Amino acid sequence: MKQRSAISAYPVLAILALLVLVPMLSLVTISGSAGDDSAFWQSTYLRRVVSFSLWQAFLSTLLSVGFALIVARAFFQLGEFPFRNLLLRLFGIPLVVPAVVAVLGVVTVYGSQGWMPLGRDLYGLNGILLAHLFFNLPLAVRLLLPAWLSIPRQHWQLGEQLRFNQWQKWKHLEWPALAENLPGVILLIFMLCLTSFAVVLTLGGGPKSTTLEVAIYQSLRFDFDPARAVILALLQFSLCVLVALLSLRFQKLPEVEITQSTQVIAQRDKSRWLNASIVITAAIFVIMPMLAMFMDAFSGPILSVLGKSDLWQSAAYSLIIGLSAAALSVSAAWLLLRTSSDLAFANKKRAASTIELAGQVVYVVPPLVIGTGLFVLIAPRFDVFDWAIPIVILINAMMALPFAIRTLGPPMRQNKARYQRLCQSLDISGWHRFRIVDWPILRKPVGLATALATALAMGDLGVIALFGTPETTTLPLYLYHQLGAYLMSEAAVTAAFLLCFCLSVFWLLEKLIGGHSDVTY
Amino acid sequence: MLRIKQLSFNYADVDDAMPMCFELEVNRGEILSVIGPSGSGKTTLLNLVAGFIPATGGSIEISGKQIQHLSPALRPLSIVFQSHNLFPHLDVFTNIALGINPSLKLDDGQKQTIDEALKNLGLQGFEKRKPGQLSGGQQQRVAIARALVRRHEVLLLDEAFAALGPALREEMIELVKALVKRQNLAVIMVSHQPGDARIASERTAFVNQGRVIALAPTDELLNYSDSMEIRNYLGS
Repeated sequence: MKQRSAISAYPVLAILALLVLVPMLSLVTISGSAGDDSAFWQSTYLRRVVSFSLWQAFLSTLLSVGFALIVARAFFQLGEFPFRNLLLRLFGIPLVVPAVVAVLGVVTVYGSQGWMPLGRDLYGLNGILLAHLFFNLPLAVRLLLPAWLSIPRQHWQLGEQLRFNQWQKWKHLEWPALAENLPGVILLIFMLCLTSFAVVLTLGGGPKSTTLEVAIYQSLRFDFDPARAVILALLQFSLCVLVALLSLRFQKLPEVEITQSTQVIAQRDKSRWLNASIVITAAIFVIMPMLAMFMDAFSGPILSVLGKSDLWQSAAYSLIIGLSAAALSVSAAWLLLRTSSDLAFANKKRAASTIELAGQVVYVVPPLVIGTGLFVLIAPRFDVFDWAIPIVILINAMMALPFAIRTLGPPMRQNKARYQRLCQSLDISGWHRFRIVDWPILRKPVGLATALATALAMGDLGVIALFGTPETTTLPLYLYHQLGAYLMSEAAVTAAFLLCFCLSVFWLLEKLIGGHSDVTY
Repeated sequence: MLRIKQLSFNYADVDDAMPMCFELEVNRGEILSVIGPSGSGKTTLLNLVAGFIPATGGSIEISGKQIQHLSPALRPLSIVFQSHNLFPHLDVFTNIALGINPSLKLDDGQKQTIDEALKNLGLQGFEKRKPGQLSGGQQQRVAIARALVRRHEVLLLDEAFAALGPALREEMIELVKALVKRQNLAVIMVSHQPGDARIASERTAFVNQGRVIALAPTDELLNYSDSMEIRNYLGS
């Protein structure tokens, strides 16, 4: 009679373990059997690559989180204002903007021919920092804002009554709420910047500004030196493990839906104008690269670019990869979460969170490291490029899995907590339960998770750069080749097309799967 | 009718939790109120009877048949919780129909049963409404209607009216009393409001630290008990 928890997670965990361990094992084996590589270990090149990887990640995190603190605070202090939810949604867009599109936008705005040309060359650290800021500032705002919203209204009222000044409010009310989330946000963004590939590949990549990820790619695709790629991949893996171990201490990340306002304390004093200016500036910073890129696209050779069959073939590959990776990652997330929410419901919270953490293994073992492992494993036996599409689908599914888990986890756990006993008492189980209870309640988050995973995989320029060939080119890779050939006006049209394509597929999937809901929960 | 004998349970994951052991009997046509402080074991008692948590020993009998080994779905009883009794995406009629057949394939007779339940609970005209379009009291009526169409002899109310205001709570209890009389049900009503017991029950059980400390006529238990625990709880 004892309730048995679902075991659906275990096959998924086994597959994930295989996908991580087999490539890692092949990396370690090759590294062990390689000849004397002490010269490479002591080389200035390696030292420069490692220090640049860490330096750009540190600076990107510092800037993103630093500005995000200012913007999130301004957002909070403004309270309710027109277009608040619209602006928050706008801050969600960079999540689905393909990195290579954002890069083109950044170049269009800040490049030497751009709207606001930076004094120094954009290609290098400056450009990388700007592009990382474009992606991570909005993300950090969305992650930090719930900390302010979690401060009880009564605490603000108490602060007013006790005549707290701004500093005392920060010290006694805001910092305690932030301190819980801030380390987790910092480490997450540091990890994202450390493993950032497309941005560094397109805006850096020269001898002075190469990260480990890009160096791995260059070793495999340009220098044809798998032994060196293995060393770089193992180094990158070690760095990620270090950051992940630190992150385990600060697991807490907010799960609050911030597009709905909960409680907002509006400031009535003159700082309202300052806060409004900060929010508007941040919004312009996010909008401008997209706007500039679209304006360039409209004045570009639209018909000639859209008339090329290569573009449509790349789009088809992107769509196939996106949909397949999304189907895999959302199914895997569903199966993992079935078990973890069962365990959480049975009060086995540690086991539940371990399963969910295992699904986020891609944070510890970066996709390019897995790709490198598979590359060196397959290359001596088969034509590695024949395997491009299935490998890219698998690795993109792994990359999207943490997002699918974060999107589906809270509603699945809530669904379990609210209706498990009711379903048990009414004998609603199996297919009936899925059809009548689970699917209608969960289809909206499933739609969002699928849309998100598809858009992420469609826009990814990572593993496909490693495995792609002229015959198996995705849209981001196609765009990257145009950028590499300095076909900037064609690239602008392709980038606009890619962005519209990703957003349309995102919107369509969210509507088709999520459906229309008039339910008041 | 409903007999609980030495029904025991232990929270394995709580270090200082005391072993619980319950002994109770509820008659047909009776609402037995169960009151007690927070964490005393009231809801655990209902979860054990409903089969949501496994008892470590003892027995539960309904009409002479032992049910402690049955899964929640097979136990001949219905339960109404304080909240989340209804599925938000389904209308009132479908929420009630789930009580008859989870596959929602209903014959004419079953549809008529639902119509009767709607009428008895004063819910006519609400069939097509979603739970979000109902008041708290109406939502609990729908949950009770579903419990009634299941035609089980035992009904468990787990603080079912706690979220309602005093007047509405009294109205709901009177409604349950009328239904109990009409259908000859045996009801255990867990409440943290001694006033509810006064309105609903001739007999009330006081539970504390996982045991039934006292089981007596409601008036006697609430007004004349010598027990320090009960007097502390009542603040008298």
